[in-house]
Amino acid sequence: MTVTKEYVVGAKLPPSGLFVQDAGGRWQHAGFNHPFIFSLDYDTADPSILYLAAGNGLIRSSEHGGKWKILTGSDVTELRDVSADRNTPGTIYFAHSHGIRVSHDRGATWKEIGAGLHRTFTEAVRADRRQAGAVVAGGEEGIFRSEDGGGTWHLAGAAGFQITRIEQSPHDGCEWAATTQSGGVFLSHDCAKTFESSGRIGVGATLYDVSFDSGDAKRIAVAGWGPGVAISEDGGRTWQSRNAGLPVPEVVSVIFDPNVRGRIYASVRDDGLYVSNDVGRSWSKQGLDGSVINRMKFVPDVRK
Amino acid sequence: MKFAILPLLFACVPLHGQPSFEQRKLAMIDAYAHYQGKGDYGYAEIAAKLWRHEDAGWCSRKLQELLAQPSGDMFWMYPVTAIAYLDQGQLEESARQALHRAWRTYMPYRGDTENHFLLYYTCLYLMSQMWPNADWYTGNSSAHNMEEARQWIESWVHLTTTRGQGEYDSPHYMGVFLLPMSYLAAWASDPAMKKRAAMMLDLLIADYAPENLDGLYVGAHARVYESQLVEPSNGVSADFGWLWFGLGHAQAVPANYALYYLLASGYEPPEVLKQIGTDRSQPYTHLERKRTRNRWRFHDDLHGPVYKTTYVRREYAVGSDQGGVLQPIQQHSWDVTWSVPDARGVQNTFFTVHPYSSTQELQTYFVFNPDGATEGVVKSKKTYDSPDKLLGGSPFEKIVQDQDTVIALYNIPPETRFPHVNGFFSKDLREVVEDKSGWIFMRGGDSTYIACRPLQPYSWKPIEGGGRRLFSPYLKNGFVVQVSGRSEFPDLASFGKAILALPLEFRLDPVPAVRFPSLRGTTIEFTYGMPPRLNGHAIDYDQWPLFGGPFVQSEVDSQRLILKHGSLQRTLDFKNLTVADTRN
Repeated sequence: MTVTKEYVVGAKLPPSGLFVQDAGGRWQHAGFNHPFIFSLDYDTADPSILYLAAGNGLIRSSEHGGKWKILTGSDVTELRDVSADRNTPGTIYFAHSHGIRVSHDRGATWKEIGAGLHRTFTEAVRADRRQAGAVVAGGEEGIFRSEDGGGTWHLAGAAGFQITRIEQSPHDGCEWAATTQSGGVFLSHDCAKTFESSGRIGVGATLYDVSFDSGDAKRIAVAGWGPGVAISEDGGRTWQSRNAGLPVPEVVSVIFDPNVRGRIYASVRDDGLYVSNDVGRSWSKQGLDGSVINRMKFVPDVRK
Repeated sequence: MKFAILPLLFACVPLHGQPSFEQRKLAMIDAYAHYQGKGDYGYAEIAAKLWRHEDAGWCSRKLQELLAQPSGDMFWMYPVTAIAYLDQGQLEESARQALHRAWRTYMPYRGDTENHFLLYYTCLYLMSQMWPNADWYTGNSSAHNMEEARQWIESWVHLTTTRGQGEYDSPHYMGVFLLPMSYLAAWASDPAMKKRAAMMLDLLIADYAPENLDGLYVGAHARVYESQLVEPSNGVSADFGWLWFGLGHAQAVPANYALYYLLASGYEPPEVLKQIGTDRSQPYTHLERKRTRNRWRFHDDLHGPVYKTTYVRREYAVGSDQGGVLQPIQQHSWDVTWSVPDARGVQNTFFTVHPYSSTQELQTYFVFNPDGATEGVVKSKKTYDSPDKLLGGSPFEKIVQDQDTVIALYNIPPETRFPHVNGFFSKDLREVVEDKSGWIFMRGGDSTYIACRPLQPYSWKPIEGGGRRLFSPYLKNGFVVQVSGRSEFPDLASFGKAILALPLEFRLDPVPAVRFPSLRGTTIEFTYGMPPRLNGHAIDYDQWPLFGGPFVQSEVDSQRLILKHGSLQRTLDFKNLTVADTRN
């Protein structure tokens, strides 16, 4: 999901929004021009349906991006993250500027579940694929976990830090990672019940993204402004900076390619997309020049 | 190329007397409909011509040309909504189809401010009303769109009539709130929506009427641009002051917000509002309670209260809020504005400010990530991160006002980005005298004397375009300001003598504190961070009304607004959607 730099509300908007890369590596703009899409997830029952967390609501994109429907109303704005529950098809969570909402009917109706949080601004949300009804969210005051679908929340870690991203390991669902503004990386080894600091990486800077490598259970990448891309090969105990070939160590999003071992993508501030085929030891440009890429996601291809 | 507008605006001024509201209205519309310069005014010219039922062929061609590449989000929605309603069978079918198609194939962004949402939902409501069976960019039905829009519009009216606006009293954005209410008052089919909008027009005009001086919006503002701040006649408010009350002068090119306001309901204020807007025969203090913009982070409450005081008399006005960061980037907290015969090109205002910018401020009011946030803001708000700036609130500024006395205190932490205070001393101040007592005495125009006592040493820095900036690099700081009419004293020296006779006491440690018996006989005691005391009594902010003063009155949460002048009274009841006019 990209936005063109220099955009302010009301300005002319060059192609922005959702971009899809096909098997041949070509980027295609899908759906409407849109200035603020921050996150996406896919419907577990039908991965051709995408849920987009956007500034103007939760958008369902179907027909390979060609058809959009805004699923939310005037009571939420500036959505930050979305997570489809792998346990319960049709259940979707999203984080927004003033809380967290859940739908159990694919977005037909929504319920606010963030009211129990002291401060409601929420940047990150993930449904726990191991446990139905378990949700992990990150906002202004740390990482919170609910085991009853958002009825009650308990502080799980990173107290006092603004959370920017939360991810669950594709290998072991009890392994989690979260990035923060100024507090570095926090890891959980106990199914997101508690999170502990993972050393100095990113402390004093902002880390914006974290990605587990589905091909290597111990490999994790983080991305941030200052640290650039850093890789851990030992489950987060130690980190190595991997910025050779990036124009600046100011990285907004990072993701491992689940289909190609050692391949990783990174988006550099407003300078488009970069790719590395050696786990970040060297980087080369991969297109989308002049764009801010807020988030990347691999989605199962169901077009055949 | 737009200077050709000016003669048009005044072409219909009668040789004797003020042009009527209808004449002013037509002059503003004609400025767009009969534009004589190079190029054209795009959507605005199309809308103005359609209103006049002129040149439908050109309108159709131009509309299709513009709709080939829509852009502008909600600022695109409001002109094309007006065009759709002003069409009335004039446009060619191909142009109408292009309009229809655009609402299906272009997704205008909803934005992130109060004015964005109001524009967006008003237009979505009206277009869905017009085309009940259409396909929309939202992917939802016309009925769904209308219901979503209705809910937001009604919630905005409720919030505004109970706790005040968030983007309050903006000399620029006032037009963006008037415009949608004018649309709904003219074009909504639902009688309740239509009535509510018409009543909101009265409220919005009443919000401005007592706080204008010669048509200029005075005092504290949620949002203002720097060019409007230092030269108030640049504000959109000048257009409305001229249109509604015949005050001052419209801008050479009237704001298109005023145009679209006129093309819809073109509402002419009732006599009670005209009197409130123009009667400056007696000095008065007007109070308002507003609210902050949405505070997403770092606060327990989404909105905080804003307490405004505005003192107005024929010669000048003094206005303020309580200080602090109440709005991001464009807040203006206090000023003195003096009357001049023609305010165009005149910087008839005086104020001080702590230039503050921070990621904390931006993250409070926006969902921005921290990195690049300030850089991003500066792209459109050029002075946001400048030490020389004159615009913006500061968490380290606290203000109290009683009539025409203002005390602004500063307690700035050493690590703050810009550790100094700026004072705006305009090119149009006269007789500026730096007295050995520490007071600065000066004259604003031919009408006003201003005394300013900086509590710390200062130096002068030039301002590009004229005037001087007072620069005081002391963290514990403050200013005591007393204003009077020029007619109250024989000369500036006499005014100064009267000020020096007032026994000012102050200290700077541990925090700035002032005790000042004002020219009007009120002893003001103000310690930074403490409730101010007037004649020994602490100001009780809990009792601050939504509107309070001789002309406009409303209690918080009452949803009842009373407009009064002389024997005239209008009561607006937003709970029951009733308006009652009485004459005593």
